[in-house]
Amino acid sequence: MTALVSHLKLLEAESIHIFREAAAQFRAPVLMYSIGKDSTVLLHLARKAFWPAKPPFPLLHIDTTWKFRDMIAFRDRTAKELGLDLIVHTNHEGLARGINPFDHPPSIYTDIMKTQALRQALDAGGFDAAFGGARRDEEASRAKERVFSFRAAGHRWEPRRQRPEMWMLLNGRLGKGETVRVFPLSNWTEGDVWRYIALEKLDVVPLYFATERPVVTRGGQLIMVDDERMKLERGEQPEMRRIRFRTLGCWPLTAAVESDAADIDAVVDEVLRAKYSERAGRLIDHDQAGAMEMKKREGYF
Amino acid sequence: MHVAALKEEVAIAPAPASETGAMVRLLTCGSVDDGKSTLIGRLLWDSAAVAEDQRAAVMHASQNRLLNGEKIDFSLLLDGLQAEREQGITIDIAWRYFETAHRRFVIIDAPGHEQYTRNMATGASHADVAILLVDARHGVKRQTRRHAAICNLVGIKKVVLAVNKMDLIDWSEQRFRAIEAEFRVLAGSFAFAQIAAIPVAALPGDNVVRRSSAMPWYAGPTLLDYLEAVDAKVEPRDAPFRMPVQLVLRDSDFRGYAGTVASGRVRAGDRIVDARSGLGASVRRIATMDGDRMHAGKGDAVTLELDTDLDVSRGAVLSEMARRPINADVIEARLVWLAETPFDPEMGYLLRTATDLTPVTSMSVSALVDFETLASEPAHACAVNDIADCRILLGRPTALDLFADLPATGNFVLVSAVDGATVAGGVISWAQAGASAVGGNVFVLDRQLLARGLCSDLADSPADAAEFHRRAQEAAILLRSVGIPVLIEI
Repeated sequence: MTALVSHLKLLEAESIHIFREAAAQFRAPVLMYSIGKDSTVLLHLARKAFWPAKPPFPLLHIDTTWKFRDMIAFRDRTAKELGLDLIVHTNHEGLARGINPFDHPPSIYTDIMKTQALRQALDAGGFDAAFGGARRDEEASRAKERVFSFRAAGHRWEPRRQRPEMWMLLNGRLGKGETVRVFPLSNWTEGDVWRYIALEKLDVVPLYFATERPVVTRGGQLIMVDDERMKLERGEQPEMRRIRFRTLGCWPLTAAVESDAADIDAVVDEVLRAKYSERAGRLIDHDQAGAMEMKKREGYF
Repeated sequence: MHVAALKEEVAIAPAPASETGAMVRLLTCGSVDDGKSTLIGRLLWDSAAVAEDQRAAVMHASQNRLLNGEKIDFSLLLDGLQAEREQGITIDIAWRYFETAHRRFVIIDAPGHEQYTRNMATGASHADVAILLVDARHGVKRQTRRHAAICNLVGIKKVVLAVNKMDLIDWSEQRFRAIEAEFRVLAGSFAFAQIAAIPVAALPGDNVVRRSSAMPWYAGPTLLDYLEAVDAKVEPRDAPFRMPVQLVLRDSDFRGYAGTVASGRVRAGDRIVDARSGLGASVRRIATMDGDRMHAGKGDAVTLELDTDLDVSRGAVLSEMARRPINADVIEARLVWLAETPFDPEMGYLLRTATDLTPVTSMSVSALVDFETLASEPAHACAVNDIADCRILLGRPTALDLFADLPATGNFVLVSAVDGATVAGGVISWAQAGASAVGGNVFVLDRQLLARGLCSDLADSPADAAEFHRRAQEAAILLRSVGIPVLIEI
């Protein structure tokens, strides 16, 4: 166990630098706000980068309609308190077709309600740059991601067409039809994110802290019953367990962990001792080999 | 390598993080055959930086090997993209993170093959320390020379020569010393400040994290000991202040210049100057969301509010009065060509320095580095993975430094004016103020001179000050248009 924090100021300065480079070079940036811990840190850094002015871009949330209720409440409260412009987009076409995480495989559900929805929203807003909270430590295909990640027309990510990034010189000159995803948290780890939240006393969605919540066990994973749309399988009976979440997404696809970490210090402690990598709780990533890489190529994040 | 540096001993005791840097960025270079992925995997595995589900996955994937009595395949922890796994090579830079009780580490894992020199140069540009891996059976090879040359080019000052696979040469001290000596001779032509040679065996884990019992003749640090103790900071204490302006922040009555301090320090009250216009001002506030600061140093992202409006924008370099950047429009540089399309003298290029983007009016290549001899050979063309010396003329002057003096304001990337691609990255070795100023007859427009005549009708108000500066600039433009180089000193 270590309580290193001195490197957080270096990471903070690096992220602020990236925000400013992007804001200076792109015509119409937007911040992809997904309400979780990474988005919380991302938004805080954006505020620091442009203070005393407000961040010169809106927030964009892709609402699949299956987010935890606590997340939506937190999102609306945050936007209101900070006086920020929030765009909420849902793929209504997908919704009308009845696409949901119970009846459709995670890969199809995610493609339609998240990936396609994001493309729709970025196209509709005419955004040429989108900030995201992705970190290189999350997953193998992200370990090679750039800070300015270029997308060809149609938001496709071509690993071989990415630009080399030397020193702190971020080249944001767009080619025809290109857009860019900007990742200011590239060099942060999950442990850094939590230590920074503790250090800066940031408010996060309460689901990150352990308490008694109704869950069912499916395929060895704990799924919380967040509302009446839960489709229980034969023999399943929700039971109260002391749980928390390491990542937040759509509630039917996000596994909880049993935990006693009820406050920020306990969470930091738990994360730094963690036995399992963070995305082990993300059901969509295990769908097929190289799952995240496939999703990236298609434009998810 | 200088004689003094040759004698420098590697410090073993971990120094306090605040003095040596809380975070160390580490480049690992070497080719697949040298066991690079295994070395990094071992470092992560033994320093407990691998989560249990990842450990289990690696154990599972290594099952066949274990059945054959071989060791765990640590490289499975690293090879990321599907395409790479299939080809069994590492084509792109991969970033890894781990920490010990002493330090946070960033591992920049760069490919070793010659056809990926550009990827290595890119990775190296982010590193404080480089681990050059050589196979103990083969010693220093052409690619070791090339890797050392690239590390030197991008400004890495601390190098670890990790002599791997010592188990395959019977842990021979004699062989290790010979490789070390050969490398020190080779490194003599570079500007490294410190070289450490460490004998390791990555597969069984000797001298990576765990001290080897097979090499009692080696008394130096293990690789991790070295990394926890190395002083990552290279900037001299009294480096001149530089802050390239990223953007101007405005909010009701606030107007400030946002940027990251590239070198030196600035304090509230300091006189600073915009290097391009020569206009000076005092720092009124160093503003951040966490409150005003009394001073800011290298790496700090801050916003400076000045007492007089310099009317500068993105691309300006705010600097200390005494030691200013060069306001240059001719530079000579050494660069690594990154694009698949070769250099084309007819093409339009843009020079991207810290925050400025300046059109290139003409560019020529004079030499290429030969990776076998490391000598420069005369040449006029360069293509992907080449290291070339070149001369660049700019459409207008921009503020910059020599890379050897101040790396953060002495480097650049070259951008294609057509599709925006980053085609090369380079370091400035020579720069001159004014392509036409060869005679050295620079005309200095100072405040007194202007106040006597051209600006005698102006007072001290902000509006008049702005008009004063405008007239100074216009006068300079007129003088330059007839070939007289001008320096504004007001």
